[in-house]
Amino acid sequence: MSRSGPLYTLAAGAVLAVGLGVASTAASPAIQQVAAAQDATSTATDTAGTATDATGPAVAAQDGTQTAPATEVTTSATPEPSDTTPKKADYAGVAQGNGGLVAIAVRNGKAVAYFCDGRIEAWLKGTAENNTITLEGKNSLITAALGGGKAQGKIQVGKAKWRFAAPVVKKPSGLYRATAIVRGAKIVGGWILLPNGQEVGRVQIDGNGEPAPAFVPGTALDYYGVPLSPQDPDAFIDSL
Amino acid sequence: MTHTQAVPRQTVMPLLVPLVAGGLVAVALGVYGRTHAPTGFAVGVAGFSGPLAMKAWLTTGAALLAVVQVLSSLAMWGKIKVRGTWVAPLHRWSGRIAFLLTIPVALHCLYALGAQFDVPRVLAHSLLGCFFYGVFTAKMLALPKRGLPGWTLPVLGGLLFTALTGLWVTSSFWFFTTIGVRF
Repeated sequence: MSRSGPLYTLAAGAVLAVGLGVASTAASPAIQQVAAAQDATSTATDTAGTATDATGPAVAAQDGTQTAPATEVTTSATPEPSDTTPKKADYAGVAQGNGGLVAIAVRNGKAVAYFCDGRIEAWLKGTAENNTITLEGKNSLITAALGGGKAQGKIQVGKAKWRFAAPVVKKPSGLYRATAIVRGAKIVGGWILLPNGQEVGRVQIDGNGEPAPAFVPGTALDYYGVPLSPQDPDAFIDSL
Repeated sequence: MTHTQAVPRQTVMPLLVPLVAGGLVAVALGVYGRTHAPTGFAVGVAGFSGPLAMKAWLTTGAALLAVVQVLSSLAMWGKIKVRGTWVAPLHRWSGRIAFLLTIPVALHCLYALGAQFDVPRVLAHSLLGCFFYGVFTAKMLALPKRGLPGWTLPVLGGLLFTALTGLWVTSSFWFFTTIGVRF
């Protein structure tokens, strides 16, 4: 037997590891950019969503891009006139310098948020008062000011910090979460959809995360044969 | 210089460097997995529906080759009556391929996820993974040395097989029984 054979084996393993590592560093995050055709579909769905929303309560209050006056009007009718924090609002935008997406949902003083750039993700929860939201998650923190039809602030995930300005969005854009327990393993999926059709999402199973299958609102997903039904924040904000 | 000694003296001294190097590798992998920020993404082998499935199947491939390792080493040591010039190359190449199959898996585990201790399964998997590469390094460095105690390779090989089996049970077996046998 060649004496250096085992050393070549070790070296081959090291070279393969370094090669894959370099390739991984160079690869870009998995945020899906929309093609023109998909964008059209998304807009169509958007319109349908608006029609649905018109029949529902409070959601209509956040319609349109110039929502600042609307927000003020809606909230001035609340029992606490001093606090103009929206009772119900959804925000979604891009983390500047990272390209990942941030989505925030505010419901009656509670706030939940999800950050995902296709590789790393974070679920956060916290409070919304005095038009300020503060949310915490595992190794993550969001502080933002609400107003002018957007949530503007900072997100920290691990040691990285980014600024973001997330405009108000309405269904089908925004934040979605799906959970399932399969034979003792907990599956948690998160998706953020922007009005321009940009989408990102990840699924975790017992802490093992990977990019989520693409999600079309109103449809169910198949994750390795496990059916997942992503829900909007109304459905999960109290259980997060 | 075996021609000057009919029977080389067997001491554990030549084992010192391989064992220390292996220990350092195991600790370094653990520290790296614990301290760096998980990227959540790593380039792997294409053709699977996701990194989880990729890892489950590559690990299964390595585990099957590990069975070949045990059988071929038993033949090399005369414990089973199979003889042939192909046995030793089979042992070497099945081992090499098994090792290379584990690399994309370990890279995804360590680079994308990091060492985690939240769930018993994940804790055991993280520790076994670091241990596996430590023992593998020790065995590769010990192989070219002469005058090692006779138990060196069986013990290191046995530890490798045990660690890999544990890694398979805490990952692939879990995946196949929890999610299903899926590609």
